[in-house]
Amino acid sequence: MFDQGIEGAGLFMIEFGDIVPYFSVYTATLFAFAIIFILLAAFSIPEKQMDIIFGGDAYYAKEIKPADLRFQRFMALACGTATLGAVVTGDIFNFTLFAAMIGITNIGIVASSRSHHVLNAAYQYGIVAMIACVPLFGGAAMILATTGTLSIWTLAGIGAAPILAKILLVLGVMGEGMAPFYIGKAEITRAQGAPFILMVHVSSLLLFLRAVEIILVI
Amino acid sequence: MIGIYQTGLLAAFICIIIAFISLYQETDDLHRLILTDLAEIMALLLIALVATDLAEALILPGLVVMIAELMALAEIYLVKEGIQRKKNSSALDIEVLQTAPPIFAGILVLYGIILSGFSGGAVAGLGIIFYCVCKGSDEVFTHIETASGYAWVAWIAAFFIFLLLPEQWFFAVMIAGGAILIKVMAKFSLIGTMSGDPDV
Repeated sequence: MFDQGIEGAGLFMIEFGDIVPYFSVYTATLFAFAIIFILLAAFSIPEKQMDIIFGGDAYYAKEIKPADLRFQRFMALACGTATLGAVVTGDIFNFTLFAAMIGITNIGIVASSRSHHVLNAAYQYGIVAMIACVPLFGGAAMILATTGTLSIWTLAGIGAAPILAKILLVLGVMGEGMAPFYIGKAEITRAQGAPFILMVHVSSLLLFLRAVEIILVI
Repeated sequence: MIGIYQTGLLAAFICIIIAFISLYQETDDLHRLILTDLAEIMALLLIALVATDLAEALILPGLVVMIAELMALAEIYLVKEGIQRKKNSSALDIEVLQTAPPIFAGILVLYGIILSGFSGGAVAGLGIIFYCVCKGSDEVFTHIETASGYAWVAWIAAFFIFLLLPEQWFFAVMIAGGAILIKVMAKFSLIGTMSGDPDV
């Protein structure tokens, strides 16, 4: 497991039968990163949008309703928690489930904005995330069918997982982790979404890093 | 050597390709949402191909996650298009509940008649409750009352046959079974008429 040259040293592991949640230097780093951003999301207040009227000194600030704020913050925290799960888990199917959960919570974070174009972007992303479930779960199911196990711990280093399953897994993670592109499309990196929109980027980044680790190890 | 799993996988991939082509060609947002449901079923198909107990255990969380995504997207679609629910409609005001009752009530009543007796009456009554709750119950009520009265008479008649002509017991059992079916069904369907009217 830890002699692959990818993980670094093994720090901690719990052996529940064949499903082993583990911390290596690699995943522990990702975990710490996710924790930091969960705390940031929990203790920050939203950025208010200022519209300046050209040709004068006037400007007006948009108010964010408390209900919207609560929803967005909850979604950001849920997204962070799903990311933690995806980073720690030692089971490929659990990883795909957490990836799908990250997709759902990302939709929630983006959709809490009321603007039409933002909702449009969230909708487009949602459809991509849903379609991505097919290769994601398909890849995990193919690994189970060919090797008989879903445990990353057992699969590590034996190279039994078929290349097609790995490709499908990567495709699925690409679909679920596509959210930052749609955020760019909706232009809510600042004002309307900040700082909770950060969680979308962080979860996407961590998801990709973890997927790379899994693909290289199994 | 192509095993049964590979054959199934091939079939699944053909289905997935068809689903993806349909998604690619569809431009209407709502239709695309419905088509993603088709794609999700393909994901379940891939899991189901494993065909072990574990696959069975994996289908359920997969299905839950996908339905959650579908519901979230449907909600976004409603907000995006500005579609709102009508003000004075109840929670049961769903299109399916306007079209399904005759079929479901028919199936339940038919099955109740096949079961006959007390449990059959309960099943058939359930069918009529469903019909009354969904469709409203203005004139159905009097018919049910009449039928219930005749059923009571038939039931009593069956008892007289038991007492006076014991050799005709089978005939009496049949009459009593049919009568109690209608009786229980009528009692049950009263529940359905209770919540149908806003004034009651």
